[in-house]
Amino acid sequence: MKKKILLVEDEKALCLLYEEELSRDGYEVVAVQDAEAALAEIGRTAFDLIITDIRMPGKNGIELITQIMGLRKDVPIIINSAYQSYKEDFMTWAADAYVVKSASLDELRSKIKEMLGE
Amino acid sequence: MSELRKDLVSGRWVIIATERAKRPDDFRPSGGAAAPAAEAVGFCPFCEGNEGKTPPEVFALRAPGSAADTPGWTVRVVPNKFPALNRGTPPPKAGEGVFQWMEGTGVHEVVIENPVHAFELSDLPVAHVRDVLRVFQQRIRTIESELHYQYVQLFKNKGKEAGASLSHPHSQIVATPIVPKRIKEEIYGADRMLRTFKECGFCRILREEEAAGKRLVARGRHFTAIAPYASRFPFEMAVFPQRHSAFFTDVREDELLSLAETLKLVLTRLKDTVGDPPYNMVLHQAPNRALALKGWPDIDLSYHWHLEIFPILTKVAGFEWGTGFYINPVPPETAAQFLRQP
Repeated sequence: MKKKILLVEDEKALCLLYEEELSRDGYEVVAVQDAEAALAEIGRTAFDLIITDIRMPGKNGIELITQIMGLRKDVPIIINSAYQSYKEDFMTWAADAYVVKSASLDELRSKIKEMLGE
Repeated sequence: MSELRKDLVSGRWVIIATERAKRPDDFRPSGGAAAPAAEAVGFCPFCEGNEGKTPPEVFALRAPGSAADTPGWTVRVVPNKFPALNRGTPPPKAGEGVFQWMEGTGVHEVVIENPVHAFELSDLPVAHVRDVLRVFQQRIRTIESELHYQYVQLFKNKGKEAGASLSHPHSQIVATPIVPKRIKEEIYGADRMLRTFKECGFCRILREEEAAGKRLVARGRHFTAIAPYASRFPFEMAVFPQRHSAFFTDVREDELLSLAETLKLVLTRLKDTVGDPPYNMVLHQAPNRALALKGWPDIDLSYHWHLEIFPILTKVAGFEWGTGFYINPVPPETAAQFLRQP
């Protein structure tokens, strides 16, 4: 059975890229572009993993993660941000891993496998 | 991986994060995604019950029988989940032309001072404050003896303006493979005072301050708090042990309770006087004893460990950055007068 990943990424092109690549890797990917849509999806589906950007219009990724903690503490979360400076913010500890975006998806893929115990 | 780079002119070392993808708009005030206050969203990774969201604890004071990384603790120490310096053996310095650098190794730990989000250090019972201080000592000893870092910096940021991203009371410990410039400056200053006064200069200052009394904030059984003569910031305070000692780790068990009493007292006075301001508190002590005595054989005579407390009430701006001068609008004598009042 395919593992279900929720991807939250506000940049449309990146969202499509990640969705394509991770689907090709064999995951069932639901991609949304903001926190509200993510929370709605979490209410409908039991995801195995959530990947979220931080800087997004509306609720930011840290707000999203802390809200997810009120719903499901057990789901692993990867922060996938272009900015490493949020590492200094202890609220990011609510996530399980922090990946700085790169042209290569190697680090993200490696963290996904680690989080899913593959 | 980060790097430590040395500024050849000032001798200052800087931690440079060399990871990719840093962009100029990361620093634009309007572009930042401010973290919500933990109270507002109801989740805090430091609160009891959320131990799974931190890295495994390296030390904790906990109830007998309670397992590591579960509830039941009173003080808990965890490594930073996303550290600026990576744990490892202190590396050798390297060169790049005239420049010096080294790999950014170090230790970065977070001391969660109590399980309850809303209880600040000054709100805790004196015995709990003593426990927190004891944990500070324990961690510093361990890091110095096992990992051989040259300097262990303990600090506390309280409030957003002081650099805290989370209001759950915590302190941080960062060990570096070099002695920071500010500490070296104090060591050299202490050495000059030792030669001039033929005794520890800090002891001399403390004696004069206690005799004069006008900058005295509190005098406990073993510790004295003053508003320093040349305070840089309004309501700045320093807490000194009355017994000469270069190393915080040498504070005896019977003295720890007195330190806790004095620290709780001055933090409470600060809160009452200025209205719970953001502040930074830093420990200044001699570098790792095993290494310090090689470089500074008299350091146990000349240096005198202390805590410095800086409320964030003014902004450090161009003049201060340009000159190193600070403009303090509150004379320390006035600050001490207010801070003495119960």
